[in-house]
Formats: sequence, C-alpha cells, structure tokens
Amino acid sequence: MQSEVLTPFREVSERAGFLLTLASFILPLAVWCIISYVPFIWHPLVKIHSPGGVSFFREGALVEKKVFVAENSKMREQGLQEAIGRPANPIFLPAPHEVAIAFFKAFTTPPRRSGEPWLHESLWHSIRIIFWGFFWSSLFGVPLGILCGVYGPVAKLTEPVVDFIRYMPAPAFGALTVAVMGIYDAPKIAIIFIGTFFQQVLVIANTTRRLDPSLLEAAQTLGARRSQLLVHVVVPGVISDLYNDMRILLGWAWTYLIVAEYIGASSGITYFINQQAKYRIYDNVFAAIFMIGIIGFTTDRFLAWLGRHIFPWQKQERPGLLRRLQLARAEAIERQAAQKEAIG
Amino acid sequence: MKRGSDLPDYREQAPEVAARFAKIALRPKILEVRALGKMFGSHETLRDITFDVRRREFVCVLGASGCGKSTLIRIIAGLETATSGQILLDGKPVRGPGPDRGMVFQNYTLFPWLTVRANVMFGLRMKGKSAFEAETEARQWISMVGLLKYEHAYPHELSGGMKQRVAIARALANRPRILLMDEPFGALDAQTRAQMQAYLLKIWRNVDVTILFITHDLDEAVYLSDKILVLGPNPGRVLELIENPVPRPRSREQFVSPVFLSAYNRISELIHPPGSIPVEKVPIIRMTMAGDDVE
Ligand SMILES: Nc1ncnc2c1ncn2[C@@H]1O[C@H](COP(=O)(O)OP(=O)(O)OP(=O)(O)O)[C@@H](O)[C@H]1O
Ligand SMILES: [Mg+2]
Repeated sequence: MQSEVLTPFREVSERAGFLLTLASFILPLAVWCIISYVPFIWHPLVKIHSPGGVSFFREGALVEKKVFVAENSKMREQGLQEAIGRPANPIFLPAPHEVAIAFFKAFTTPPRRSGEPWLHESLWHSIRIIFWGFFWSSLFGVPLGILCGVYGPVAKLTEPVVDFIRYMPAPAFGALTVAVMGIYDAPKIAIIFIGTFFQQVLVIANTTRRLDPSLLEAAQTLGARRSQLLVHVVVPGVISDLYNDMRILLGWAWTYLIVAEYIGASSGITYFINQQAKYRIYDNVFAAIFMIGIIGFTTDRFLAWLGRHIFPWQKQERPGLLRRLQLARAEAIERQAAQKEAIG
Repeated sequence: MKRGSDLPDYREQAPEVAARFAKIALRPKILEVRALGKMFGSHETLRDITFDVRRREFVCVLGASGCGKSTLIRIIAGLETATSGQILLDGKPVRGPGPDRGMVFQNYTLFPWLTVRANVMFGLRMKGKSAFEAETEARQWISMVGLLKYEHAYPHELSGGMKQRVAIARALANRPRILLMDEPFGALDAQTRAQMQAYLLKIWRNVDVTILFITHDLDEAVYLSDKILVLGPNPGRVLELIENPVPRPRSREQFVSPVFLSAYNRISELIHPPGSIPVEKVPIIRMTMAGDDVE
C-alpha cells in the first residue's frame, strides 16, 4: 500500500493538524528537558556539593568533570576527603522550569537600579519601535511596490536601485542614522524601515505582477478605462495575497529589532537581555528571548485569523466573519422584499 | 467524416433557410473585418482575413488549433493590434477594447473578489451608473441566465458552466453591439457543453444581440451558427464562408439529419483535407508478462 502521508499537497485533517502543531512545540521542549534533567546526557560540568579536601572547590561552584575526577583521585591518594558533587549543565543553559519561573518573576522583579525600565516597559518599547518602523515602511513601500508591479516604467526606474540597496545590510546604516537622527528612537525606527522597505517594494511588486492578466483584459472589454484598472482590478485582485506578504515582512522586521536597539542608546528588550546577561541571570535571558518569540508568534496567528475573516471571497472550509455578515444582510433584504410583496 | 455520399449538397438551402439569409443580407453590417493581417515577429499568424457580421447574425469561426482564431477575436476585441487591415464596428474603425464589444473568454475571467451580482454590475458601474440602477439591471441579466439564486455567491463557489453563464450575463449587461466568444464552452464536459449551447441559442433568440463565436468543435459550429467562417492554418486565412443550411429552430436530433451532415462533412473536408493528418509509425511494445494470455 502507498503511504497517504507522502501525497504532495494533501490536506491535513483538523485533528491531526492540531496534534502536529502541539508536537512541533513539545518535541524541542522534550529535547531540552532530556538535556536538562537526565544526568548522564551531556552535563559536562559538576556542581560541587561539598568541597571535601580540595582547597579551591567552593560549595555551589561549577567545575569541569575532568578536573573533578582528577582532584578526587588526588584526594584518594593523599587519604583526604573526596569532594561530592553532581553532574550539571553550564550556566548558560538553564533548565525549563527555571526559565518558566523567570518568565513570571521577570515581570514582578523591579529593575536593579532605579531608572532602569521594567521588563514590560522594555517589551512595550520594542513593540513601539517595530510598529512605527513597519508602519512607515508600509506607508511608502506598499504603494510603490504596487506601482512597480503594474507600470513597467516605474519598475525600471525603481527596482534596480532598490535591489542594490537591499543588499546593503541595514545595520551598516546604524552609525549614519544616529548621526542624522540622534540617539533615541528615531534612528531605531529608521533601521527597521531600511531593513523592511527595500524588501517590501520588491516582494509587493512581484505579487502584484502575478495577477492574472486576463482579468485586466476582461475589465477592459467591460468598459474599464486604463486609469480605472489600478483601483478596480489590480488592487482588489492582489490584496489578499499582499496581506499574506505583509505578515511575512512583519516577521522580517522583528529580525532587525535587536540591531536597531543596539545603536544609539541601547533600549527595549535588547537592553534588558544585555543587562541580564551581564548579571549572569540566564534564566531571564531565555525568558526574554521566548517573549519575543511569543509576541511574534501570537501576532502572526492573530493576523492569519483576521485574514480568514476580512476577505469574504476566499475559498475556505467555513465562511469568514465578513462573509457571514454579507450573507445575513442579503437574506434580510430578501425577507423584507418578500414581506413587501406579500402585503402589496 | 460522418457518413457516405448520398447526402445533399451543403449549398442547397431549403426555402425557409434561403429566405432567412436573404433577410439577413438586408440588415446593416455590425462588424466588418477588412484584409486583416497579423505578424508575431516574423511569424505570419493571420493573412488577409475579410468578412462581415450583420445585425443579429450568429457567426462561428472554426479552425484547427493554432490557426489564429484567438488572435483574430482578440484583435476584434481591441486586445491586440493588427499588423495590417481594418476592423469596423458600425462603420467606424475600432481602437482599443471597449464595452461595445463584449467578450467571453475560454478560461473563466470572473473577478474572484466580486459576487455574481457585483461581477455583472462591473461594466455598468464603470459606465457611471448608480449602484441602485446597476443592481436592478444586473439582477435582470442574472435572472435571464437563471442564476438569481446564486447572485450572492462568489465565483469559486460556482461550477464551470455557471461561471460562463455569469460571464455571458456580465458581457450582455453592457448591451454590446456584438458579443465575442472565444471557445467559451471548451473547458466544459460534454453534457454541460450541450446544455450551454442550447442556453446560448435561447438567449440569442430573446436578446437582440449579434454573436461571433469561436470554436474548434464542428458539431458546435453547425448547431449554433448562421454562417461558419472556416480558417486554415499557416498562415491563418479564410478557406470558406459557409452559409449553414440547417433550418432553425435547432435541436440535437438534427445532428444526424442529411443537411447537418452535409455541412459537417464540408467543414471536415476543409480543415482535415484527406491525408492531412500524418500519423507516425509507433513501434510495437509488448507489456505482457510470462503466463499472460492475451492473443
Ligand atoms: N503573443 C504572441 N506572441 C507570439 N506568437 C503568438 C502570440 N499569440 C499567438 N501566437 C501564435 O499565433 C498562432 C495562433 O495562435 P492562436 O492562439 O490565435 O490560435 P488558436 O486558433 O486560438 O488556437 P487554439 O484553438 O489552440 O486556441 C500560434 O502559432 C501562436 O503560437
Ligand atoms: Mg484559442
């Protein structure tokens, strides 16, 4: 029998999909748990419980396994008390439960020094930077991308230079933006803008070009003038694809966040992570990194959910919200008409 | 070819058929195609195409695949420019696409983001009619193609045949001078195609519209048309303009009538002259396994 799983593009049932989604999170977590909690897997260090006769061992210190064994055999030869310890991982890999605790404690722990931001303030600052960077980029990038996709001359005029600049890494502009815009939020927003905008123009232009040209022809034979095509055919024709592009682009914008926050006065979640790393509180570092993941992931899921509801013409199993509203309205109007007819 | 030689000549017309053609000849010319030529680079696709379509006439253009039928109709629609020659609509040369020539394409070109009703309203809205006016008119056309129940559906919720009915309603809503159809039923299954053909004839009887219909299906051409313009390939040129001798109203029973066959055979002769379809010799390959008993 042939395996159905290997059929290309086969739909996954809702239940199986849910289980797989769950597994995609549980599997890496399981690996992390095994590495953290099973003593004979990895654990390259030994955490000293009681130093015994070893002069430079301290209780709670981490030493390499090799050193621990060597010192203990020395102790045995000299007839001194051996050190006691148990296998441990390096400090930069905290166990899941430690990170989980840090995750909640991070919000309730006041900053070490007054004047430093709380975690939630840092996060909020980061979100604001992303938002404005992406907003300004989209404000110019989306229209320009559509124009490039539709009008050949605009594309020829714009795309080569956009493609050229795209290859310059956004961080390279860091010093420049600080010189021009000062050290606070403006240069950070500019970095997000630079990182997003040039990709955005090209991606949007490409998607726009994928519009079925026979739709433009059909519209023209129906009397649409050339000047009407952009608004009445191109934009509605590509908008749901553009929406999905924007979701992916927003993800890219997040990847520029850390760079943006490094330049000028370090700020936001990056600042928080750096501070915690400096204090060697790696639980908090992991917690903060996960928070970025969670924010990104939930935003994307939310936008995907929204996308299913705001384009009523999309093919899908259950009609979206807007589609249901549309149908309800049509039904109400029909019922009214029927009533009028019955009376009249 | 469908049957032997004891058929009437395809040029013989029954009195009522002859009377109809005499009547058509008195009507004004809607579309005039004059010495049309088209080159794609150095490839000559169309050469010296000349014919007229008169008011309320149903003309089929028939030809083998690749002989330039789509190119011809796209030039008439204004979606492609001719290299030489002229297209006149009501005596005036056409320049670019316009709502006076409605078009139904083979691949469904309904706007996927609009409901059936909004699709049919599209041309009316482009003309600047108010939403209310356009809606009322659109509903009439939708009801004419029998899809009022689906007016709020989106194209992806419709079958192929339904989509083409909407496309026809959408084109007719503009009240075009001529309806251009490029193999509109080519992608449909045989049953639906037969239904759609009957449907189209009914619409054509009830609506004052002139139709230029492209097909490569001989039965379809003879079933639908008043005249059949047969094109030959390489370059695309007119082989003959045949006056269809089959009397109206048409029905599928006529498919085996002598008149129908006479017309059918003539077209068949024109587009597949005897010995014109070369078949390469195919080597014999055995796929039987030991023990199979095939012979
Ligand atoms: N845009 C184009 N550029 C170059 N050659 C073209 C173009 N459009 C059509 N042709 C050529 O013109 C010839 C006729 O094409 P056309 O599509 O008009 O044929 P057709 O009769 O409609 O065929 P079919 O029955 O398969 O639809 C073909 O050889 C095709 O390769
Ligand atoms: Mg064609």
